[in-house]
Amino acid sequence: MRELTVGPDTVVLGIETSCDETAAAIVMGGTDIVSSVVSSQIDLHAEFGGVVPEIASRAHLEMLNPVVARAIVEAGVDESRIDAIACTIGPGLIGALLVGVSGAKAYSLAWDVPFVGVNHLEAHLYSALLEDPSLELPLVVLLVSGGHTMLVEMRDHGAYRLLGQTIDDAAGEAFDKVARFLGLGYPGGPAIDAVALHGDPEAIRFPRAVPEGLDFSFSGLKTAVVNYVRAHPDVSSADVAASFQAAVVDVLVTKARRAAREIGATGIALGGGVAANSLLREELLGACAEDGIRGFLPSRAMCTDNAAMIASCGWYRLRSDGATPLDVGALPNLRLPLLAS
Amino acid sequence: MGGALGAPRGGDGGVAMLILGIETATDQVGVALSAGGAVVASFEVARGRRHAETLAPAIEFVCRQAEVRLDELAVVAVDVGPGLFTGMRVGLATATSLAQALRIPMIGRSSLDLLAFPCRHADRVVVPVIDARKGEVFWAMYRQVPGGVQRVVEPTVGSVDDLVADLLARSEEVLLVGDGADRYLEEIQQGYRCESIDGARPSAVPLVQLAHAQALREDWVNPREIEPIYLRPPDAQISWVTRRERP
Repeated sequence: MRELTVGPDTVVLGIETSCDETAAAIVMGGTDIVSSVVSSQIDLHAEFGGVVPEIASRAHLEMLNPVVARAIVEAGVDESRIDAIACTIGPGLIGALLVGVSGAKAYSLAWDVPFVGVNHLEAHLYSALLEDPSLELPLVVLLVSGGHTMLVEMRDHGAYRLLGQTIDDAAGEAFDKVARFLGLGYPGGPAIDAVALHGDPEAIRFPRAVPEGLDFSFSGLKTAVVNYVRAHPDVSSADVAASFQAAVVDVLVTKARRAAREIGATGIALGGGVAANSLLREELLGACAEDGIRGFLPSRAMCTDNAAMIASCGWYRLRSDGATPLDVGALPNLRLPLLAS
Repeated sequence: MGGALGAPRGGDGGVAMLILGIETATDQVGVALSAGGAVVASFEVARGRRHAETLAPAIEFVCRQAEVRLDELAVVAVDVGPGLFTGMRVGLATATSLAQALRIPMIGRSSLDLLAFPCRHADRVVVPVIDARKGEVFWAMYRQVPGGVQRVVEPTVGSVDDLVADLLARSEEVLLVGDGADRYLEEIQQGYRCESIDGARPSAVPLVQLAHAQALREDWVNPREIEPIYLRPPDAQISWVTRRERP
């Protein structure tokens, strides 16, 4: 394999297939997004109200090569310019991950360039830095998606501390479940976000569960919504959606603020699919302004699953740890690598 | 990338045509390399089901031992199933990505072909049977022809009873082969008298042998035309269809 010095000219092809998006991107020097292509499977899963693993895996296999080809064409670079292949190795759906990992290793072999396995959660932490390299560490990242809700202290590249996390449902999961219950469709996040615009967020005062420290809990809120709607069958769905969303955002922002204060962070960055929620974005910016710290909101495209963040994170990992051996498999339960605190 | 396929390397008779074969349809994972039709290297592991961990290092190993660089390959051949979905996709994603990156054509063969071909000298109809889990098997039937075998019954999925019914309907002397035959031999023999070859798995060696003959006829495809043979809709789709069809 060629010797590689990781620097500002290093071109990384990123590949992401951990859930229901097949994505590929070309990123130079860790932060310069040259191309980013995402093929979403939302329509394939919508009728089931959730991601069906076997359907996801089949679609990834079908889309992987075309998506990679398009990322290269859109980047306008010759594939001989690609210096390394970064790919999500976990966490995620095992069958879905394996398609990307297998393809990525094959590209690495064929082009004789290093392969680097990327932790999907760690990549989400990079989505903010990717769009604003001027962000200074330490940073609090509020990572909210369908599978995760966590507050992470990003102390340095590769040095993270978990400040708090959900003790039951993830925030995105609560959005999906409440949306399904209200008959608003799938995925729940955008559905609730849209309907809530027409509702009164103060119509119903749903409980804000505040577990110890910086942890979260959303399962009680979901139950409260269901009980309320059963007791008041004529209530407007818009009011329920708006009040539910207000409760979730309230808890997320309150704890993120407290986390930033506790560690003396320079700012708070959002990451994960729920970071596309408009109320969360608005409230977080307001809170940061009040506290005199930076609030950073990655673009909606960068919040949801994409391969640019994989390529970016891969660049940093390659620089610090080198290539990943080709005998690594997919790691569906991979966790964020944390500092011993 | 995405452009027309280049002229396959080594197809002009000057150099032996190199074909890499990748096979991951059952619990076995295998890689083989042929040069001018002769198998020059192969690697197989039948235990552990660590397809994703094993395959890429196996490709590296086989090529290094045979002193072949990947960019010298003319064709990538792959087992397209039927078999275990997750394992199959490891081989398929690896093979199509290799071919795409190297800009070379591909040849896809069914796992059932790979089980039947080594039985080309048998004196009866060959019935490869692959374990499909959930009490079902994949099978097809082949007859010997000069130089190989010819498929006479297309790949099918069904219960062991369905297989026995198919055998009874044809009432020919058959030879069973494959992990489905190993697992359900007693059950099958209770319904139909037949013999089996024990312990055979679809292998990358017959894959490159079959692919070489095909490559000589330039009977290959673009990587994007390679289609997996699943024979079964995804699980969730099945339950949705039944729910809708219920009155």
